[in-house]
This record gives sequence, C-alpha cells and structure tokens, in this order.
Amino acid sequence: MRPTTPGRGSSGHFGAAAQRSRRRRATIAGIVIFALVAVFVVRLVDIQVVQAASLNADAVGKRSISTTVYGDRGEILDANGKVLAATVLRYDITAAPKFAAGYTTKVDGKSVTYTLQQTVDQLAKATGGDSATMYKALTTDKTSLYTMLVKGVDVDAYNRVVKLGITWVYPQRATARTYPDGAVAGNLVGFVGTDGAQAGLEYEYDKCLAGTNGSETYERGLDGVKLPGSTVTTKKAVAGGTLETTINSDLQYQVQQDLNEQVTALGAVSGTAVVVKVSDGSLVAVADSGSVDPNNVSATDTGDLGSKAFTQSYEPGSVFKAMTAASLIDAGLATPTSQATVPDTRTFPFGATIGDAEYHPTEKLTLAGILATSSNVGISYLGEKMSAKQRYEYMQKFGIGTKTEVDFPGEADGILNDYTKWDQLTNYTTMFGQGVASTAVQTASIFQTLANGGVRMPLKLVKACKLADGTVIDAPSETGTRVVSQKAANDVVDMLENTIPEGTLKGMQPISGYNVAAKTGTAQVPGANGKYEAGQYVISVAGIAPAENPQYVVLVTFTKPSTMKTSFAAAPAFREIMSQVLETYRVKPSTTPLTDIPDTW
Amino acid sequence: MSTNHALATPLSTRAQPSSEPAETRRRRLNPIEIITSRSQRKARPKIVYALVATAALFVLLLTQLGISIAVSKGAYQISSLQNSQTVLDRTQQKYTEKLGVLASPQNIANNATALGMVRNQNPVYLDLGTETVYGTPTAAATPATTPSNLIANSLLDGVPVISKSPDGTTTPATTTAPTSSSTTGAAATDSSGSSVASSANQLAAPETR
Repeated sequence: MRPTTPGRGSSGHFGAAAQRSRRRRATIAGIVIFALVAVFVVRLVDIQVVQAASLNADAVGKRSISTTVYGDRGEILDANGKVLAATVLRYDITAAPKFAAGYTTKVDGKSVTYTLQQTVDQLAKATGGDSATMYKALTTDKTSLYTMLVKGVDVDAYNRVVKLGITWVYPQRATARTYPDGAVAGNLVGFVGTDGAQAGLEYEYDKCLAGTNGSETYERGLDGVKLPGSTVTTKKAVAGGTLETTINSDLQYQVQQDLNEQVTALGAVSGTAVVVKVSDGSLVAVADSGSVDPNNVSATDTGDLGSKAFTQSYEPGSVFKAMTAASLIDAGLATPTSQATVPDTRTFPFGATIGDAEYHPTEKLTLAGILATSSNVGISYLGEKMSAKQRYEYMQKFGIGTKTEVDFPGEADGILNDYTKWDQLTNYTTMFGQGVASTAVQTASIFQTLANGGVRMPLKLVKACKLADGTVIDAPSETGTRVVSQKAANDVVDMLENTIPEGTLKGMQPISGYNVAAKTGTAQVPGANGKYEAGQYVISVAGIAPAENPQYVVLVTFTKPSTMKTSFAAAPAFREIMSQVLETYRVKPSTTPLTDIPDTW
Repeated sequence: MSTNHALATPLSTRAQPSSEPAETRRRRLNPIEIITSRSQRKARPKIVYALVATAALFVLLLTQLGISIAVSKGAYQISSLQNSQTVLDRTQQKYTEKLGVLASPQNIANNATALGMVRNQNPVYLDLGTETVYGTPTAAATPATTPSNLIANSLLDGVPVISKSPDGTTTPATTTAPTSSSTTGAAATDSSGSSVASSANQLAAPETR
C-alpha cells in the first residue's frame, strides 16, 4: 500500500543485505513448496487416475457387501383371487466340512460341547433330514468348504437350525412353488420342474410369471450395520407378474369330483367337463379326469399331465347337429318346423348307408324332432339342402379346425379337412359330427355361440397378467364375431329344450326350476388302423341353462365308457355339474314354461 | 502479584502505538502521505468478522457431526427394524402357506364329509324383492356311499380331519404321518407337527344337541 520512497533505499548497506537474504529465503521456500506440491500432485494423479480402477475395485471389495435382491415368481389366482400357485420360502442347509467338528453352546448358562455325531443328529432332528447321509457328506472330504446337507426345508426347520447356532452351517435362501389346491385345476395351472415351467399356464405364461433377481451393494460397519446412504442398486429386482385366471376353484373342485365319480362309475378311460360363461366366453371350469397334483407330479401318469379338454380332439358326433341346424336356419334353408320323412336307415346312390342309433319305424319329424331324437337320417335329408362349401364355412366360423384363442400348451386344432377333400359319405357324416374332430373346448364354444344369440366370444382362460409395476399384459380379446343370426341361434336353443323332456335325455331328472337346452352325442372312436373301433364311443352331453336367458354352457364327455355306452350315460354328470354351476352363480330360476316346438307333423 | 503485572503489561503496550506513530509521522512527512479517512478506517476488516466466521464454521461442523451421529443412530434402528421385518415376513408367509392348504376345497370337503354333511342338489331361492320362492325345497338324499374325495392334494398329507364321536361332539383326529417322513421318526413327527396344521388351527364344529 505504501509506495517505496526513494529515501528508503538510502537507508544503508545493511538494509540491502537484509533484502537479499529475504529474497533468497523466499525463493528457497517457494522451491520447497513447489517440490512438495509436485510430489503430492504426482501422487494424486497416480492414485486418482493411474491406479484408480484397481484401487476402487480393492476398496469396493474391502468395504462393500453385495447382496441378492429377490424377484420371486408371481402367483396364479383364480377368478375370485384365491391362490392356485404361489412361491414359498425354503432354505437349503449347507455346511463347510472343513470346519465341521461339533460345536459348543450354552445350555442353562453352562457351556456344553457336542461331538460331530451329536451335532449331526441335532441337525437331522431339526430339519427332518437323514443323519447318516449328513454325516457322510460332512466327513467325506474334510478339505471342502461346501456341502449340501438338506434341500428345501421350511421356515420352521430353518428357525430350528438357526437356533442351534452352529457356526459352520449356512442356510441359504431358496424358493419353491406350491399349489395349495393340489389337483384342483392342476390340469390347467400346470407345474414348474427343476428346469423351469413344464406345463399348463405356468408354461404358457412363463414370461409373465417369471421374476428377475437383482443385486445391490452396500457398505457396512464393523458390527455389520449398513452404513447409511451407501446402498447402490447394481441390478434392479423385478418380481414376477400375477396371473389372473377365469377359473372358479370351488366350482372346479366340484366339477372334477363329479367327473371323476362318473368316470369311475362308467368305467371310462377318461372324461372332460367344460363350463363356459355365455356372455364373455370365460372358461370357469375345465375338468379332466385324474388330473395332476402339481405338488406331486410323479404320482400322475404322464398321459394325464396336461388338459385333454384342450389337447385331445375327438369326433364329437351328434352334438354337431345343433351347429348344422343353426347353419341351415341362418341360411334360410330350414325352420324349426321344417318337415322330413325319416326312415330308420338311408342308403345313398353311391352305395353307402347311414342309420340312426336305434331302430324306429319311418317317422314324420320336424327339425326340432330330428334334433331331439338325434336322427342321423333326418339331419342328412335337411342338411343336403346346403352346399358342402357353405357348411364348411359355417363350421370354420364356429371355430372348428382352429385351436381356440386360449392357445393352451399342446392345444389341438381338431380336424376339419377342406370340403373339396370330403368324399360323398363324409359330406353327410360331417352333418352329425363324424369325419370331423374337435376338442372339448371347441365343442363347448359352439354352444356358447348358440347361447349367446349367434355371437361367438373368444374363449378365455386368463383375465390378465398384472406385472409388478402395475401394467397389464396378456388381456384377451373381448371382440365377438357373429356366426349366425340371433333368430337362428335362439331357434336352435328353443329346439334343444325338447331333448330332456321328450328326446334323447328323456328320463333324466330335470334340474328343478330351470329350463335346460341340451344335445347329446355318441360318436365312434377311430382306431389305429383308421377304422372305427367296434363298441368304443365318446359320449357327451352339451347343455345351456337357463334356456330362455342363457348364462352357462356345460359340456361333459366320456371316452370309451365300458358299463353303459349310450349318451344317456353322460346325463347324471351333466345334471350334477349344471345344477352346481347354477347354484354357484345364483342363476335366477326360469319363470317361463319350456318352449315346446312340435317334434312331428 | 503476577496477575497485576500481567494486567499492567497491555496498558504499557497500548501506550506505545501513540508514541510510535508520532515518530514515523515525523520521518515520513515528505513528500506525500495518505491519510486514511474515517470511513476508510471503518471499512478495514475487524476482528469481530473473523470471530463470526470462525464461530459459524464451528457451528457448521458441530451440526454436521450431530446430524451424522443422528443418521448413524437411525441406521441401527433401520437395521433392526429391517431384521424384524424379515422375520415377520417369514412368519406371515409360513402361515399364509398353511392357510392356503387348509382353505383348499379338498380339506373343506373332507371335513364336511367327516361331519356327515351331504350335498343338497335341489337349491331353493328366495327373491326378497318379490317374496317369491323358486324351486321346491327337498331334503338332501343320504348318499348310498360316503363320497370320498377324489381330487389329490399331497399337501394335505398329515393334516388332521375333524371326527365326529357318537355323542355328537367333535374332536380333531390325527391322521397318518406325512409321506415325506424319513428314517428319523422323531424328526419327521416334529416337522409335520409344525409345518402343517395343528389341531388348534381347525375350525371347531358347532355342537348339535
């Protein structure tokens, strides 16, 4: 601040010497400081830049702990939210044989030391494992740091093991898939094996259900407590989605139970039952006889692991007559009272003969009568008014020949050959469901279409998959397609009301309070050589209730029954299942009398 | 005594500046001297500012220390709460798993059958709006054979089914040991007893008298 005055310089030699010495000292100080700074800078660059990567890695390894954040497989729920499949905690008990040498613990304040054998016995008791196997695993290779003692013990066993406090035993988290309802809907839910999803919805919706484990690292203090703010998520865990099905598990149980009882009673090889909600095509129950218990897959025959209702196509027989009749009415080629003179058999000019199931004198039947008595001859007279091409197109529109929208694993397309490949006899037999094959769900879909005023709704087994972040995927289509006119569909349902009081189901105890429209089917089973097997049938009943305001469709089929081989044998199962369905859903009983379209003229 | 001396010293040093400026003023009178104005002198840094700044720094450091202590104390709390959450989650999951098995249709049907209940396939409905009864009330028929559960559920192994004694009271009965029992009988019994329902979990059936 003060300028150097000229007089100051003249203060003497003494002052100049002091100034030089000061400068020298300042220079030395400057050099020393610079050297120090240079050393620090070099060291800093060395640490921060040159060795940064390896030092950081060392540091992370020393300070931070990496842990797995679990993203478990999602649940499968029924229509009411009841769990059909869930992931549960299990623990694998592992140990380090190298350190395995008994342990010391405090009992009543006194220190007690157990031998290895005693320890293993305690572990076996706690986990339900086998002590001999464990002892062997621990003593075979004493240098090993890892051996599996027991796999998949539950939380209680885990708690008991932890309580023992053995330092060389390490429980590891594992998960298991559990199916609380066992074989109820086991055919649909499927199961998960050691290699992942194996069957059913578990397999089909594996992408929805599978979760992804993530990981995070954190630093912890000497006492193991997480240092605040040190958590770094290295990989985000994603929990599996929740699959919501349309299945009603209680109804499914009862349907399976009724079906199994009847399969046994009829001595059938197998049976299926399908319950469809008319308004939206939801499958509320799909039962297969002897379906798998996903908790214990090995107990079930491999042939029964899937759902035959989806995977097995069969020649449906007379239930197809309802579809033929609807096509005829829709095309304006017939009415419920169309007349036909129906003998017992019909021989065609090309040489083949078709006949009705039982002998009857020549009758004058209406279309309603033909359906009620299920006359093959009768439907052939009315059905020939329509060209093969047109009938083929109607069958396609009803969903025959293409697997349903459910797209169940292994689902069959059924067999609908192109009409140009039909021979003259097949042209007639397709009218009553021979020479063509469908799955049980396809057949049920025909009746859903008729019950829904001619609009076919895409069949669905799954409502949606809700992912962990709330997004919904896999929601099925809700768009129906009109197959036949409302009038045609309603006429057919009205005609089918004759089946129980005066047709092929005459004698079946009616379902009290409800008008039920139904159609039976008895179809021969093609054998290995391409010819029909003698005396082997698939019998079925498909029905709609209440007939005047259709709510539910039930289809039951039995393959190769041995004690009773007519379609009437399927009636008790149909009755039990249909009444259970109506009761379960509190369907309002019919208030109108049965529509009675005359059977004869 | 020394205190008096110490007190006296600053006084003497304070007196010094008054004499020293006079000497320097005399030496530097020429040619020009900047005389600091009052306002300039006022603008000079004062010790109080330094004190305030230092004090603020200390307060800052202390606060930070305090927060740090509080946070790490919170870390212990978080840690212990997370631990107890893990344990509770585990317990909840265990009971949910048991409940799922107990609520399975098979278990309910087994118990209903054991109590002698039968299905009535003739439902009757009452429409409260119109006071109409739909259906004909009919007593349930006694089935010729007791319907047994035909739907497998291996999780129900070892779950006891309620039993009905002749006097009408109900007692939970134990069933067979779980199929997963191993050679160590005691361990298996122990495991089944807690991993599946104990009798206390069973619903008590109403007594009929």
